[in-house]
Amino acid sequence: MLARTVFGVVVMMFVLVQAGLAGGKDDIQKYFNDTASKVKATTDPAEKRAILNKSLQTMSKALDKVQNSPLISKEDRAGIDQFKAALQENQDELTGSNGYERVSDAQLNAFSEYVVQNMEQADRTITISLVTALLIVIIIILLV
Amino acid sequence: MMKSLLSRSFTSATHAYLMPMVGIACVVLVLFLFSCSTHPLTQRGTALEEESALPPLYSMVFIIHGDGDYRFHDPSGNAHRADEEALIRATRVAVQNSQAEVFIFHERPRRHTLLFFPRRDGKFYYYRHGRLIATESYWRDQGTFRFDPEVKLFHRFRAVEQPQPVRVFLYFGHEIPEYDGVGYDASYSHRKFTVHDLAEELKRITPDSTRFDLIVLSTCFNGTPHTIAALAPYARTIVASPDNLHLSYFDLQPFERLDVSLRDGNIAGFAKNFAHRAFERLTEDIQTAVTVAVYDVDRVQGFLHAVDSTYDHTLTTLKGQKPGSVEHCDCAEDSAYVLSGMSEGVDLFYRPPRFGRSKHKQNHSGWECWRRLKSSIFY
Repeated sequence: MLARTVFGVVVMMFVLVQAGLAGGKDDIQKYFNDTASKVKATTDPAEKRAILNKSLQTMSKALDKVQNSPLISKEDRAGIDQFKAALQENQDELTGSNGYERVSDAQLNAFSEYVVQNMEQADRTITISLVTALLIVIIIILLV
Repeated sequence: MMKSLLSRSFTSATHAYLMPMVGIACVVLVLFLFSCSTHPLTQRGTALEEESALPPLYSMVFIIHGDGDYRFHDPSGNAHRADEEALIRATRVAVQNSQAEVFIFHERPRRHTLLFFPRRDGKFYYYRHGRLIATESYWRDQGTFRFDPEVKLFHRFRAVEQPQPVRVFLYFGHEIPEYDGVGYDASYSHRKFTVHDLAEELKRITPDSTRFDLIVLSTCFNGTPHTIAALAPYARTIVASPDNLHLSYFDLQPFERLDVSLRDGNIAGFAKNFAHRAFERLTEDIQTAVTVAVYDVDRVQGFLHAVDSTYDHTLTTLKGQKPGSVEHCDCAEDSAYVLSGMSEGVDLFYRPPRFGRSKHKQNHSGWECWRRLKSSIFY
């Protein structure tokens, strides 16, 4: 019985570690990539815009919730601030506010790719820990 | 009778249960012994082919960093690992060049077998005349200097160069830090890596103070006065990106037949063609900025000397700053760097991002600098 329990715990640890390593930042990138796929899958510009807007808003909400969590370090809070600022710029450009020219209907597919690529590049300059990234992913799953 | 049966079945069950466990323990022990072995590198090499007697005309060294976040998505939504893609392309270059020797070092994340037993985190491939001569796994954290294992392997396998081949060095990875440098390797959070470590490596693999004919930095933001000055003693021509570079990196196709593309021996012309092609390929798919610069090292010396102290002063003040409080910028946006000869010796291919604040920025000086942010907004 003890051997089985130990074996079970080892297998569970292995699975959790693998899941953790594969998750986090990769899942955040995947989230934006999925958004881009949905945008490209529809032909209606209003729907494309709504998909992008909802995706950016959901991520912003998730970041707010994680930022208020007592589990988050000071460094991660700064990283989340940068992440939120980047998202806000994308939202402003999508809607044409804060001095941005509104993204035209014809450019929405390209804009969705830009968001993916911009976030992948930001991933190298915006530093958040794996735990924070996993928390963000969990909150997104709950919000969607 | 019943007791005997129960006892026998229990013994049998225990035996059946124990045997696989013993087997697993043996495998674990073997893996542990292998992972902890301290055999010298020379004993671990796998000679696959006898070396050819013909001296190579071209020598290429690839360092591919993969110990970090290197996942990206193509426009079709497929996920890729940048280092694995770069390895495939470098291998293609190695196989296609029948007159070259090619060293490929793949710096991988440190992984563990069964959670506890570390596996080697470096993989080395040596090709000569298009054939794989040797392959070897190694530990990346051995030695005083960051690239000690790579330098040792390089000197162990390199051909005696008669005549001197055309020499090319290519680095693939994230931006090579100019200061601090902690955290570049995800597996070694306290280990530092800066452009000076790379320069040290180049010094140790550059025989007789000769220079590489071409250095390619397939990284973001390394087209700076400081990075180019640090590598200048070891290169005649450098290709780098002053701005962001997408993880799909530079297209290596022009390197696939150096006997054809370098038939005229014009390295500077080849570097420009390579940079132009890389730029064209990147602009097809990438929505963020695309910037590829070719630096003629001798011709940019005047500018580098003129801005050296200013840039060093900036770097000194940036040390200790919080991440997110500084950002990269075109040197032309800082009056301290705007000099009459700043574009001398620089060939630039630039397209602004298709979206974002910089989408109307039509020019780039070819040099990237640093500035402090007034607000917390990083972009």
